[in-house]
Amino acid sequence: MVRLLNELGVTRESVLVVRNGELVPGDAQLEDGDEVEVRPVISGGAA
Amino acid sequence: MKCRVCRGPAVIDVPRHNANFCVAHFVEQCERQVVKAINAFDMIAPGDKVLVAVSGGKDSLALWDLLIRLGYHAEGLYLGLGIGEYSDESGSYARKFALERGLVLHQIELRDSFGYDIPTAAARTRRVPCSACGLSKRHLFDRAAHDLGADVVATGHNLDDEAAVLFGNVLRWQTDYLARQAPVLPAGNGFPRKVKPLVRLSEREMAAYCIVSGIDYQVEECPMVAGNNHLSYKETLNAVEARSPGTKHDFYFGFLDRAAAALRAGMVSGPDGLVSCQRCGAPASSEICAFCRLLERVEGHQPDGPISVAVPVQIGPRR
Repeated sequence: MVRLLNELGVTRESVLVVRNGELVPGDAQLEDGDEVEVRPVISGGAA
Repeated sequence: MKCRVCRGPAVIDVPRHNANFCVAHFVEQCERQVVKAINAFDMIAPGDKVLVAVSGGKDSLALWDLLIRLGYHAEGLYLGLGIGEYSDESGSYARKFALERGLVLHQIELRDSFGYDIPTAAARTRRVPCSACGLSKRHLFDRAAHDLGADVVATGHNLDDEAAVLFGNVLRWQTDYLARQAPVLPAGNGFPRKVKPLVRLSEREMAAYCIVSGIDYQVEECPMVAGNNHLSYKETLNAVEARSPGTKHDFYFGFLDRAAAALRAGMVSGPDGLVSCQRCGAPASSEICAFCRLLERVEGHQPDGPISVAVPVQIGPRR
């Protein structure tokens, strides 16, 4: 997963990774066929 | 990765605490951080009625959920900003959350009650949308808290929000803003107490909290904030945080511990000398408050009937 985030050029602080509907930690191994969502967590309202 | 507490499989790593957590212990950790913030800054007293400013995003829904879990009497207030599909969707997330949990949600639709929306206000005032949005939110949350008899307004500002605001204010040495930046703004001069119970939790932790707690939230970003400085400050701080976990926490809490009091002591102007707005009665620094001046510029109006939450929609039984 670390490799995936590096390839996407995103820092770990700014995303969560959800695999097959479940949150997974930074050392998770991703398998072929896994449905993976890299979900951004930064929102911008400054009000 | 194993949970720091039970050694079971972890679902999230929290580098600044050098810890990993399973679902149950991550939720406990979030609760503990909120309790710590509430106690450290005297945010909410026993028996207080809390009005949570709910946007339908992760932070405000997580905050509402955590306050309910911790046993507080917390009702929600959703403000419909009229930003097209984005607002339609955000409102439905807020309503769904309330409905599923039997919580009380109040609503104000800017367009229906005050005759304007944020895109129109931005165009008419020729200022960035966040300006009219922030002004509208501050005024209407204060006013709703007064009308609904709430003791305190709670907002979902998290550690990343506060660190980014601090960063921006430091970059420009905006000492007046720095002096006012605090996790609690005490009640007074007609304003309710305002609190930020999520200041010890990061944005990433709040998104994770929603996922593991089954809270559906609006992931999509507000289309009007694209490219604003606040986002670039967050990205900058996250780049530093990735190399040096704990930096955001130290930056913000170091400011509160070591600099905030000195800045407040040197404040040139305080909140004294406020008068009641001649049009809406809100506390104001001049005869007409900033919100009523905005209404004038956007050709809006005050709602018909008494000055109160314009369209209170109560969903579900009172808890």
